[in-house]
Amino acid sequence: MNVHDLKSARPQPLPPKPRNPMPVWVAATLAMLWLIVWDLEISFETLAYGVEDMAEYFSRYGQPDFTDLSRYLYLMGVTLATALWGTVFALLVAFFLAPLAARNFAPNVVTYRIARETLNFMRAMPDLLLALIFVAALGLGPLPGALALGVHTAGFLGKFFAESLERVDKGVCEGVASTGANFAQMVMYAGWPSILREALGYVLYILDRNVRMASVLGLVGAGGIGLALHDTLRLFDYGQSAALILVILATILIIDYASAWLRRRLD
Amino acid sequence: MSAISIQSVSKRFPNGFEALKGIDAEIRSGSFTVVLGPSGAGKSTLLRLMNGLETPTTGMVRIDGEIVDRRKVRHIRSRVAMVFQQFNLVDRLSVVTNVLTGRLAHRSWVGSVFYLFRQEDLGIAREALCRVGLIDKAWSRADKLSGGQQQRVGIARALAQRPKVILADEPVASLDPVSSEEIMTLLREICDRDGITVVVNLHQVDLARRFADRIIGMNGGRIVFDGKPEEMTQSVLRTIYQREGIEDDTSLDMALAYA
Repeated sequence: MNVHDLKSARPQPLPPKPRNPMPVWVAATLAMLWLIVWDLEISFETLAYGVEDMAEYFSRYGQPDFTDLSRYLYLMGVTLATALWGTVFALLVAFFLAPLAARNFAPNVVTYRIARETLNFMRAMPDLLLALIFVAALGLGPLPGALALGVHTAGFLGKFFAESLERVDKGVCEGVASTGANFAQMVMYAGWPSILREALGYVLYILDRNVRMASVLGLVGAGGIGLALHDTLRLFDYGQSAALILVILATILIIDYASAWLRRRLD
Repeated sequence: MSAISIQSVSKRFPNGFEALKGIDAEIRSGSFTVVLGPSGAGKSTLLRLMNGLETPTTGMVRIDGEIVDRRKVRHIRSRVAMVFQQFNLVDRLSVVTNVLTGRLAHRSWVGSVFYLFRQEDLGIAREALCRVGLIDKAWSRADKLSGGQQQRVGIARALAQRPKVILADEPVASLDPVSSEEIMTLLREICDRDGITVVVNLHQVDLARRFADRIIGMNGGRIVFDGKPEEMTQSVLRTIYQREGIEDDTSLDMALAYA
């Protein structure tokens, strides 16, 4: 196009609009959701009738019994320690596996595939199942719980890290690569510093998730507050159960605020 | 003795675009060469081949007689530094750490992955920062600096490599005229004082005229001009910047009238 052409150009019709498949996708998704509800015979009427019964059940938790608070706090401490060690384990594994599972950093396709499939495998193993296996192998206590959480969340953390690493600006990678840096140096200079903030966010999320999960893992014998909750629930001791649930809730709230504060600090 | 030797190089990208269609050039050691040409002429690709960021489809590139290929690429890069249009610094690292990145190829990974550097390397980084006049910004985060300052850090990183060659890919395209002048003067001075071979891709004809020893003009993946700045006449510029399929290009006339 030429300046001369621009001046003499007559208004031309707009080129035809490109097709937008979005409405079709939305309609298909809605149809599928309706099919699922129909196929599973999910009835919203039953739900409505059940509300009253549920309200009655929850009302039994009305009087939390805090007489044994110091023991609850100790058990919560054990659960927190389990979650923390699980997270540290996951962080260590992910730190070494994620760069290999990031397409732009992986030294070759074979290591990329192996690392990625390893992470997928870890993620696919439910932590409850892993905890059962480790309890059988290592006996009761927080150690099998920590290991189970570690293996499962290493898969998550590794995948999150790998995806962040893949989004590192190509120019930054080239900038460091053009100095002749090797694989380890690329990861330490172009990789981790660029994703530090995101990575911290993921670690805090995993920690939060592990605290919640560690509370449940007690049910299969992996120690901590979950085991106590399991016992009180089985004895229909609603007061103590309510107290335990409140302790867990408070802990999760505290962790949530603490991680928000930490993230602000790092900015 | 030529520092860079390019022999019948062509480059076709996986999407089928042929960026370079048979390039031959020798670049003398210690010279200052500017590559001029319109966008898409293949200037960047040519420069990136010299540092192993791209590999040629056919032909070869030699640096000091050594062929640039995949296996030796890190060794080549340790002597062929690169300066980028977008600076390509690691934003979250300090200025001095970015400069120290230039020493990575000279050291094993053991200390460097823990950000431990020898006194000798710190000395080299300090010297490089003094050269570009940013020693007082040494501990600032790289992304807190202005564009011109970031580019000077980019040059300091290149200097810290103690390179034989510095390649600069549109180093002033994102900068204002004053910063551009600073950067070009700095590159010219590095070439003159340290005897480092400098190859710069540029869009600005006037800068090319003022700073280059030699100008290579490219268009459509071919070299269409190769000579001294004073040999670059209006008709040469027309050949460099002419666009395919457009006769009687008034935009071209207007653009070159003040070049």
